[in-house]
Amino acid sequence: MPGWRYSITLRLSLAFALLATLVFAALGLYFSRAADDHMAELDAHDLFGKLALIGHVGAQEETAEAFAARLGDALIGQNGVIATVDAQKKAVFRWPSAELADPLAAAGVALSQRPIRQTLGGAEYRVIAADMETPWGGTAHVVVGRDIRHHTDFLDQLQQDFWLAIVAAALLTAVVGALIVRSGMHPVRDIARAAGRISAGQLAERIPEQDVPTELAELVHAFNAMLGRLEESFKRLSDFSADLAHELRTPIHSLRMQTEVSLGKARSVNEYHDLLASNLEEYERLSRMIADMLFLAKAEHGLLVPQKAAVPLLDLCRRLVDYYGILADDIAIEVLGENLVVQGDSLMLERAIGNLLSNAIRHTPAGGGVGLSVRQRDGKVVLSIANTGQPIPAEALHGIFDRFVRLNPGGEGSGLGLAIVKSIVMAHGGVVSATSGDSMTEFVIEFPDKGDHPA
Amino acid sequence: MRIMKILIVEDEAKTGDYLKQGLSEAGFGADLARNGLDGMHEGLAGEYDLLILDVNLPGLDGWQVLKALRAAGRDLPVLFLTARDQVEDRVKGLELGADDYLVKPFAFSELLARVRTLLRRGRVKEAGNLSIADLELDVLKRRAIRAGQRIDLTAKEFALLELFLRRQGEVLARSFIASQVWDMNFDSDTNVVEVAIRRLRAKVDEEFTPKLIHTLRGMGYVMEIR
Repeated sequence: MPGWRYSITLRLSLAFALLATLVFAALGLYFSRAADDHMAELDAHDLFGKLALIGHVGAQEETAEAFAARLGDALIGQNGVIATVDAQKKAVFRWPSAELADPLAAAGVALSQRPIRQTLGGAEYRVIAADMETPWGGTAHVVVGRDIRHHTDFLDQLQQDFWLAIVAAALLTAVVGALIVRSGMHPVRDIARAAGRISAGQLAERIPEQDVPTELAELVHAFNAMLGRLEESFKRLSDFSADLAHELRTPIHSLRMQTEVSLGKARSVNEYHDLLASNLEEYERLSRMIADMLFLAKAEHGLLVPQKAAVPLLDLCRRLVDYYGILADDIAIEVLGENLVVQGDSLMLERAIGNLLSNAIRHTPAGGGVGLSVRQRDGKVVLSIANTGQPIPAEALHGIFDRFVRLNPGGEGSGLGLAIVKSIVMAHGGVVSATSGDSMTEFVIEFPDKGDHPA
Repeated sequence: MRIMKILIVEDEAKTGDYLKQGLSEAGFGADLARNGLDGMHEGLAGEYDLLILDVNLPGLDGWQVLKALRAAGRDLPVLFLTARDQVEDRVKGLELGADDYLVKPFAFSELLARVRTLLRRGRVKEAGNLSIADLELDVLKRRAIRAGQRIDLTAKEFALLELFLRRQGEVLARSFIASQVWDMNFDSDTNVVEVAIRRLRAKVDEEFTPKLIHTLRGMGYVMEIR
C-alpha cells in the first residue's frame, strides 16, 4: 500500500481496546452465569419449601376442604402459584387464583428433583411437581410454580449493562492507551529531535544515553556509535585536506617566490637553466607527495588491495640491503634469519621494508650497525629492523606512524614514509610497531603466517 | 638511420604539446592527435613505429583505440599513459596488447627511456663489447678497461656502467636507473642512485679525460663525450 504506514500508537490502542473487550466479555459471561445460578437456587429453595409445606399440611388434614383451607391460611402473604389435583385429576387447591393455577395443572409437569423453567400464559415460571399420599383421597399431584419475570428482567438488564460497559471500556482504553503510548513514545521523538540537530559541523553531538528507557538504550547506543564512526571518518577527511593544503603551501610558495624573483630582471641562460632545474626538483617532490597522499587516502578507505603472491622476505631484504646499503658508509648491515614467505604484493612490501631500512640507515651514526631479521614467532612471521644510535623519545614514538610526523621538524623527507609503511602492513593483515631503548631502535612487522615456506 | 615516427594521442593540450616538442627534440618524428577518433584514424593511416596513448580520452578512449589498431593488424609497440595507478588498469592495458605503461605524473626522461627500449626491442645487440671514447666494456667477461687500465667494479657498478654504455646520449632518470640496475620499482626519495653514480665516477671518470658521465640537474644522468 503506497503511502501507508502503520502507526504504533494506533496498533497498541486497538490492541488495548480488544483486550478490554475480551476481559469485560468474559467477566460479563461469568457474572451473568453466576447470577443466573444464584437466582435458580433461590427459586429452588422457595419451591422446595412450598412443596414441604404442602406435604406437611396434606399429611395432617383429613379432608380435601380442610387441606385447602389450612394451606390457604399458611400461604397468606406469600407469592407463587400452586395447583393440586387428586387422583381423579380434580382440582383440590388452586392458589392464588384459578386463572393462574389451572394452566399450571394442565401443563402436566414431569416429576423431577430439580425445578424446570416453563412458559405459562406468556410468563416465565420455574416449576416443580411432586406426588403425595393424602389421608383424604389417595395420591395427589402437586405442582408449584414461581413467576421469575423479575429475575429474568434483572439478568437482561445486567447483560445490557455489560454490553454498554464493554463498549465504554473499549473506547476508554483505546483513548487512554493512545495517550499512554504517545507519552511512551516521547523518548523516540527526543531522539529524532537530537538527530535532527546533528550536521556535519556538529558531529560531536550525542544523544544522552542515561535518560533513555531501557528499551531504547540499544538503539541510542547504536546510533551514537554510528555518529562516532562518522565523526572519525569526517575528521580524518578534513584532517587530510588540511594536512595536504598545509604541506603543499610551503613548496608552492617557495616555487612562486623563486620564479617571481628570477623573472624580476633579465638573467643569463645559465641562471634560467638553474631556475628551471630547481623548479623541476620541487615539482618532483610535490608530485611524489601527492602520489603518497593518494596512496594513504586509498589505504584509509580500504581500497589498497595487495596482489597476492609468495614473497620470500629474506630475499627481499637482501635485495633492499644491496640498494640502500650504498648509503651506509661506515655502517655494518647484517641480515639474519629464515627465508620465510608471506603472501602479498612484492612492490608494496619492497616499499614498506625499504622505507624502514632507509630510515634505519639514515639514523645510524658512523660506526654503528643495522640488523634485519626474519623469524617465526607465535604463528607469525616477524621481520625486525633495528639500528644503533640515539633513542627516539617516548613521546615521539607514540604517533610515529601518523602522517606528517617528522622526528626533527624541518628535516628532510615528506613525513609520510612511516604512515605508508603502516598502511601497507595493515593491508597485508599485519602489525607494525616501534620500540626505542638506550642505544637501539627497533621496528617490528608481524605478518600472519600462512605457511608454505621453502625448506 | 631513418627517423623513428611516433604518434602521440593525448587530449590534454599542454601535455600533448610538450610531449611532441620533447620527442621531436630527442630526434623522433612526433605527431599529435588530440582525441581518440583522430588517433585511431592516424594510427591506421600513418606508418608509425610507436604509439603513445593516453587512456582517458574523450569520445573513443585509449582502450578502444588500442583494440581497433590491434584488430586491424597493426602490431606497432604501444606505450600507454594512465592517471590512475590501478592494478586493473595496468593488467587491462597489457592484456589488450599494450607493451608498456607509465603512470602520470612521470618524468619525461623516464618516458624517453621507455620509448627507446620499446623501439630497440627485437633488434638484438646485447652481447659483445661496448665502448665510448677510451672506455671499453667486455660484457661477457664482465671487464671494464679505460685507457688500457683495468677498472675494478662491483657487480652493480658494472651493471650501471653497462646501462650507461647501452644508452649513450640518453638522459637516464634516477627512477629508471634504480629499476634497471637494482630492480627497485617505486619512487624513493633517497639519494642512493646519486651516491652510486658518484662512486662509479670516481672509478671511471675521475682520473681520466674526457669526462663521460654528466649530471643533468633535476633530470638525471647522461653518458656522452662532450
